[in-house]
Amino acid sequence: MDDVPDRSGAGMVAVPVAGPAAITVDRVTKVFDGGDRSVTALEDVSFEVPRGGFVSLIGPSGCGKSTLLRLVAGLLPASGGEIAVGGIAPREARRKRQFGIVFQQPILFDWRTVAQNVGLPMELLGRSRAEIDARVTELLGLVGLADFADHRPWELSGGMQQRVSIARALTLAPPYLLMDEPFGALDMITRDRMADELLRIWSEEIDTTVLFITHSIPEAVLLSDRVVVLSARPGRVAATVEIDLPRPRSAEVRETPEFFALESELRRQLLAAEQA
Amino acid sequence: MGGRSRRAATIAATLLLVLGVWYPLAGLMDASGDELASSKLPYPHSVVRPVLENPGTLFDAAWATLSTALLGFVVGGAIGIVLSVVMAQARWIEAATLPYLLLAQMMPLIALVPLIRSIVKSDSLTRLLMAAFVTFFIVTLSALRGLKDYAPAADELFRAYDIGRLKRLRHLRFPSAMPYIFSGLKLAAPLSLVGAIVVELMNARSGLGFLMLSALTFGPAQAPMLWAAMLVTLAMGLALSRAVGIAERLLTPWQMRFRGEGGR
Ligand SMILES: Nc1ncnc2c1ncn2[C@@H]1O[C@H](COP(=O)(O)OP(=O)(O)OP(=O)(O)O)[C@@H](O)[C@H]1O
Ligand SMILES: [Mg+2]
Repeated sequence: MDDVPDRSGAGMVAVPVAGPAAITVDRVTKVFDGGDRSVTALEDVSFEVPRGGFVSLIGPSGCGKSTLLRLVAGLLPASGGEIAVGGIAPREARRKRQFGIVFQQPILFDWRTVAQNVGLPMELLGRSRAEIDARVTELLGLVGLADFADHRPWELSGGMQQRVSIARALTLAPPYLLMDEPFGALDMITRDRMADELLRIWSEEIDTTVLFITHSIPEAVLLSDRVVVLSARPGRVAATVEIDLPRPRSAEVRETPEFFALESELRRQLLAAEQA
Repeated sequence: MGGRSRRAATIAATLLLVLGVWYPLAGLMDASGDELASSKLPYPHSVVRPVLENPGTLFDAAWATLSTALLGFVVGGAIGIVLSVVMAQARWIEAATLPYLLLAQMMPLIALVPLIRSIVKSDSLTRLLMAAFVTFFIVTLSALRGLKDYAPAADELFRAYDIGRLKRLRHLRFPSAMPYIFSGLKLAAPLSLVGAIVVELMNARSGLGFLMLSALTFGPAQAPMLWAAMLVTLAMGLALSRAVGIAERLLTPWQMRFRGEGGR
């Protein structure tokens, strides 16, 4: 696959965002109809996520980030504009089970154990018991919950629940990973560890395209190839910041002047977007 | 104090309270000079006597009622669940069936009994059907409510994987409805007994209702038996409800109220 960006970080050169777009959002508008209480959540939003790329959305609360994620996942129809995922409509991509989604809330089922919650997508698609068990064990280890496989969701902390839902989103090894503030409920240390894990998974699964929503500026800089800054409601693209830091990005990257520069650039853009 | 001993204490206190009201009332009745006082409101200890003297009669009657009521309860519960699932499939199905359900339930049981008996020509089958009739309505309505009470966000998760109606029903809507179904069953269990007894009160040849009726017709001396039969009915109703509660705890241990300390 020569159209996939090189993440090896060989020679520590900046990796340009390259390759054909995997997700194209083109002049998309979303209006929630409600008579005189209609809300325009998104207006004329355009951006692209290259195949194998990692793009973050950042913006003030209520600006339409979660809505945008639902549109891309084909869970909601857009009011205007076009979205394509791998060249097909979001609904079609959803039918082909190409999405792994981490919603803003964990959405776990109390009648299932942690392991059964993680294995749910595979179970629903009729995979074999052995296959499910192996995958679930692997993923629970990955998110640091191996000891909690047989626990019930309510016995877990909020952050642990969120990690279960991250593991669940990964079960089918989806080509498109849509994550809505997945680390929102985690402490700083766990957050950093999960971010590192996510980067590792992403670099191993070379074809995985990630659309990531976050409120954390350092997280956006650490993870992304590109950060799309949305303005306050109705959400519009206020700025796009390319993160041309070399990969793999280790913990040390966070201490470099380049990292700080990108952070403050993003902070400025976000402030401007909030005030707009 | 643990949950078990607290429950035992509650039961004991309730019993004491009942006896504490019953005895003085029966005493008042007795003192009123009414010659038939003991047949109208006998003392609690005289109600126990027929139970001790004729345990067989009471037991046979109780078993006749319980066994058919239980069968009817199971049949009615199953019909209720199936019907609610069908009704929950589309708004129009619900709109088309709900009014008839309500109409059916408005039908006086007493009028229904002779009708059904003349059709099925069997006492015990009529008993079973009435118990089922009472049960299915309650269970249908509560299950229907439960099937509609699932988290929309959870539904979205299933849609994200393009999961079909049946699997969504099985893995999301039905488990979400379980607490509702069980609360319907707990309510319906004692009422299914009442349904069976109504049939027995109208000319059956066995069962607690039959015992009550004959105690009434055989005159004042049999009054304690009437009361004994009523108390047995109450006890069985409570026991049935409790049994459903235990089944609920076993089948849906994940429910909020069954969780251990600090359960969220
Ligand atoms: N189902 C809906 N019906 C009506 N309005 C909606 C619906 N979902 C979202 N909205 C509106 O759309 C706007 C954007 O909501 P959205 O959840 O996408 O925001 P967000 O950027 O994810 O915010 P946050 O950072 O707080 O999660 C809000 O004003 C919200 O009121
Ligand atoms: Mg949101």
